Amino acid sequence: MAVKIFRWKAIAPLAVLLVLIAVLLWLFAEPVAKDTTEEVSTELLGTQVDVGKLDIIADEASVDLRELQIADPFDVNRNLVEAAEIRLKLNPLALAEKKFVVENFQLSGMRFGTDRKEPAKPVESGGFAPQAMKAVRQWSEQFDVPLLTLTPIDTIKQLVLNPTQLTSVQAAQDVAARADSAKAGLERSLQQLDIKGTVDTARALVQRLRTSNPRQLGIDGTRKALEDGKRTVDRLEDAKKRLTDLEQQVTGGASAFTSGLQTLDEARKKDYAFARSLLQLPTFSAPEIGEAFFGKVSIDRFQQALYYTDLARHYMPPGLLPREDPGPQRLRASGKTIRFPKERAWPKFLLQAGRMDLAIGGDSPLEGAYEAVVQGLTSDPSLYGKPTVLRTSRTAEGSAIARIDVGAVMDHVRPDRIRDSAAASLRGVKLPDLTVPGLPFTLKPGTGTATLNFARAGDRLLGRWSISASQAAWALDSAGRKLNDLESIVFRVVSGLKELSIDARVSGTVKAPRLSVSSNLDRAIADRLQAVIGEEVAKAEKMVRAKVDRLVAAKVEPVKRRVAQVRGQAEQRLASEQKSVQDVEAQLQAELKRLTGAVPGIKLPKLGF
Amino acid sequence: MGGLLPCDPAALPPYRLPAHIARMLALLKLIQSLIKTLHSDGTPGQVAAGMALGAALGLTPFMNVHNLVVFALILLLNVSFGGGMLGWALFVPLGFILDPVFHAIGLSLLEAPSLRSLWTGWYNTPLMPYTNFNNSVVLGSVVAWLALALPIFFGARYGVARYRATIGARVQQSRFYKAITASKAYNFYRLFRPE
Repeated sequence: MAVKIFRWKAIAPLAVLLVLIAVLLWLFAEPVAKDTTEEVSTELLGTQVDVGKLDIIADEASVDLRELQIADPFDVNRNLVEAAEIRLKLNPLALAEKKFVVENFQLSGMRFGTDRKEPAKPVESGGFAPQAMKAVRQWSEQFDVPLLTLTPIDTIKQLVLNPTQLTSVQAAQDVAARADSAKAGLERSLQQLDIKGTVDTARALVQRLRTSNPRQLGIDGTRKALEDGKRTVDRLEDAKKRLTDLEQQVTGGASAFTSGLQTLDEARKKDYAFARSLLQLPTFSAPEIGEAFFGKVSIDRFQQALYYTDLARHYMPPGLLPREDPGPQRLRASGKTIRFPKERAWPKFLLQAGRMDLAIGGDSPLEGAYEAVVQGLTSDPSLYGKPTVLRTSRTAEGSAIARIDVGAVMDHVRPDRIRDSAAASLRGVKLPDLTVPGLPFTLKPGTGTATLNFARAGDRLLGRWSISASQAAWALDSAGRKLNDLESIVFRVVSGLKELSIDARVSGTVKAPRLSVSSNLDRAIADRLQAVIGEEVAKAEKMVRAKVDRLVAAKVEPVKRRVAQVRGQAEQRLASEQKSVQDVEAQLQAELKRLTGAVPGIKLPKLGF
Repeated sequence: MGGLLPCDPAALPPYRLPAHIARMLALLKLIQSLIKTLHSDGTPGQVAAGMALGAALGLTPFMNVHNLVVFALILLLNVSFGGGMLGWALFVPLGFILDPVFHAIGLSLLEAPSLRSLWTGWYNTPLMPYTNFNNSVVLGSVVAWLALALPIFFGARYGVARYRATIGARVQQSRFYKAITASKAYNFYRLFRPE
């Protein structure tokens, strides 16, 4: 009996199975899509993302998201943004290629900086965002923001300095060790040159030649004596040359010692600053006061901007090379999933045009309708070919004094020209309270203007954050300690100023950034402190310098003498060796001349003298 | 009226088998499947073909489109359905163990410059990306299964034939076999027995 290939009676159960799968998909597609959206966006953004409801509208190829909350990655108790409804219209053709091309995006009921009912959970899964967060936190730690110390002068304790803590003492010890090493090196070099041996041999020859008579030696004997003399002169010339080389090395070493001694002077300046920091003397430097008051809060703003540009650069890389992503979470190993972008094809993700309606109501001067537009947000900027653009604008008349303007451009189209820039300006908004590190002061700027400009081209940074307010107020932390006299003076100075103007700038590169902060408070505080405690601080500083000088002198002066001694000995020794070579060479040449002159008519070997 | 039970059964937490008993039952089911398959009406070739197809379900990550096709083939082709299920059960642990190997194979294929144009073409072809061919473990395991399918088929065919020729008849007479074949599940299985 022939074996049949197909089992036709299995078609019905197979059809039932397929229908069952379709029904399950229909039933569970939305919850699964909601969970996946939350999971993927949480991992992408590195912060908790919650979606209240997700509806798939299959016949319109649209997705409706409701009650979206994105937690602030820098503050677990706040939402970065909340949106009542988001409608995404997807491109069905791109969807057939498993690509998410959002043709149209509408977002309504958007709110910023709202309080969360429950703190956001930390993102424990892997992914790039936690790494980026760690990197920007490390970036912000490299700024050496001074802490404003307002220790009263009368409480200054006796300055106790340990010499080993001083940089100049350590540097002096290094120089001394190098001097000893150089001296030993010179001795070794002289031994290797064997100047004494060469000179002794030459002297012995001179003695022998002095007692020689050319008539007794005959022509052959004289020629042999002259050849011996020539060889010895060659050896002496060679010794002179090597001594000259050694002299050059010694000269180079001596200039290195000189620069080493100069670094001791620079190290001493650091020691003054170190000793001053032990006394915690109040500073009168306006830039230092500016950084101490507002350095940390400025760095926080730039840190956030850097974090988002890091994310953008990671998720929106330029170029068309295949890209690796971690595979899906499952019981089996995830592996890696590779994307293969192709010219004139859809990117993996593209938000062609998005519109967000923002309505700000209530009594706020910001009241009014705004519109935010996003264009070209994509995972493959090189395929899209244009930079991503975000901008907001007011769509209805509102207060002239209040306004929100945000604009951002991310140009990742070409690998050799990656540029991100953002500018945000908020006028007439209630500015958040700021605390002063190390002091129990809280600044309540009230309503004012805040601007942030941030640009990153390649590795270079340029940023400016500023706030200004005309009715700023200061408050004392009621739970804090009692203020000392200096703190009271500073508080009186700042609380008398209603105008507030802070300007912070960051520049340089990501690896070596520079921060400068200034405010209208700096000069006022500096002048007042100078007037009140300037004399006492000057006395204390004089005491610090004297103490450092005494300690350093005890350790550094012997080193300086030792260096001078080593240098002098080396020069003396070299001069002595050179003189002995030159003397014996002159004697030898005189004897050779005598021998040559005594036998006229003899053709002598060319001696070269 | 007071119930016969001291409390409401609905209020009780659902009973769950202890893990070691659940493992034993799973093993028992595997043995049951093995015995049934080896004594099914199918030829050794049909059993072996079913096992070779079922190996795909075990070796490759299950929730993928290609496994739906393989499952449909097990149903539609005149191969042993039991063999397919047995192949699946036998190769699942092997699949987990070999995942790092599959990842390495898949990654080397996906990163091969000579194949880049092929993958790029597939990646940008409608529906193809839903096969997850661009995942290293999926691609590596499918390729490994394709390479192993024929050895599995010939090995299983030889094994089944040898079994039936040696101890098959004695096992068929045992009480154990009779107990297994008397179960209700066996009736469902008979629907898909080879013709």
